[in-house]
Amino acid sequence: MRWIWIDRILELEHARRCVAIKNVSLAEEMVHDHFPAAGNRPATPVMPNTLIIEGMAQTAGILVGHANDFREKVILAKISRATFHDVARPGFCLRFEALIDRIDSNGASTSGSVTLLDPADDKQSKLADIELLFSHIDKNMSGLAFPEHNFVFGQQFKDVLRQSGFDSP
Amino acid sequence: MRFELIDRVIDRDDQHLIAVKCVSSAEEYLADHFPGFAVLPGVMMLEAMVQAGRALLSDRMGDDPLVLTDVRNVRYGNMVRPGQCLTVRVKLRKQDADGWDLEGSGSVEDQVAVQGRFRLTPLCAAMDRTDV
Amino acid sequence: MTVTQEEVFDKVRDVLVDALGADEEEIVSDAKLVSDLGAESIDFLDIVFRLEKAFGIKIEQGEMIPDNVLQDSQYIQDGKVTDTGMTELRARLPHADLDEFDASRDVEEFSDIFTVNTVVKFVQSKLGDQ
Repeated sequence: MRWIWIDRILELEHARRCVAIKNVSLAEEMVHDHFPAAGNRPATPVMPNTLIIEGMAQTAGILVGHANDFREKVILAKISRATFHDVARPGFCLRFEALIDRIDSNGASTSGSVTLLDPADDKQSKLADIELLFSHIDKNMSGLAFPEHNFVFGQQFKDVLRQSGFDSP
Repeated sequence: MRFELIDRVIDRDDQHLIAVKCVSSAEEYLADHFPGFAVLPGVMMLEAMVQAGRALLSDRMGDDPLVLTDVRNVRYGNMVRPGQCLTVRVKLRKQDADGWDLEGSGSVEDQVAVQGRFRLTPLCAAMDRTDV
Repeated sequence: MTVTQEEVFDKVRDVLVDALGADEEEIVSDAKLVSDLGAESIDFLDIVFRLEKAFGIKIEQGEMIPDNVLQDSQYIQDGKVTDTGMTELRARLPHADLDEFDASRDVEEFSDIFTVNTVVKFVQSKLGDQ
């Protein structure tokens, strides 16, 4: 299992808004454990909602990092609120939209929504609302040991940005 | 790789459960989070609390699995690294017709790595929460 | 338009309910943000962001809660705030009630200075400045 929970960035407005998508597929390992057949119930593959939160964290994290030219180490510090209205099954697509509410040298707060897209009929429905808080850890976590270089925005994120048609750091 | 975030249940009663998640470099996704500096992703700590909650409620649910529908104020503290074990504690706060509200935390040797509240709902009910 | 004290309290209460996941009933004037409402350090950043948005004010780093006093050896000795430290705190925190803290000056009890009322008074002073 790779740790990348968005497939493509569609829109990136500096310090304001980022939109990304992710396809949910039976080829992904975790849906086979979530949930396997049990008792009278057949296998019910569903994308774990924690990983949908991570998709939003990656979308919003790229937005926050991009706002400071990826100089800051942007770490998810708090899930203020997440509310799910539905679940995502394989064969569907997720669209993440993240907005920066506030940003300063200490970190940023973001809010956003996840939309479920059905490729069979292009129908869209609201899947989740997610509010996150990110910390710029160079400013906030003195005492904890972490590398000096920006380990947060590594090659994987750079590749997603570049492959989506955006400049990467 | 298996999506199992609880390795052992250590103790439990009707309202509480304590479990352990041992973090190992053998977990493939850690190579991406982050290259050269592996740390357990925050959402995986939340998933560990969710799976602990499911284990706590396993005697009370039917065939319908419980899914995470709400998260409130989950805060992250210390980083958790391969070779460390996260002790996960969950407590049932209340239940209603639609689901269960829980409070959870995860710590490594008394240093808190995660704490917060969340709600688990049976899958069928979780699939149509347009009124929420 | 002047904002009344009650309106400030109501908005501060809403901010703390959102930021701390607390129940409305728990947000009383003398509730301590850390000991009573369970605030962690990341929550203070969240509270500052939400206050800025709710009241249309700008809060500089360390303005509501001075973040460097406890690290300065001028101000702290053997786990207690020195006279110089107390003078600095009184200058930096006109919105806080420091008399009770002055009795012990124990660094471990520093966070108890910050109550709901401290936040309300801080916001009022910021609104008064505008």
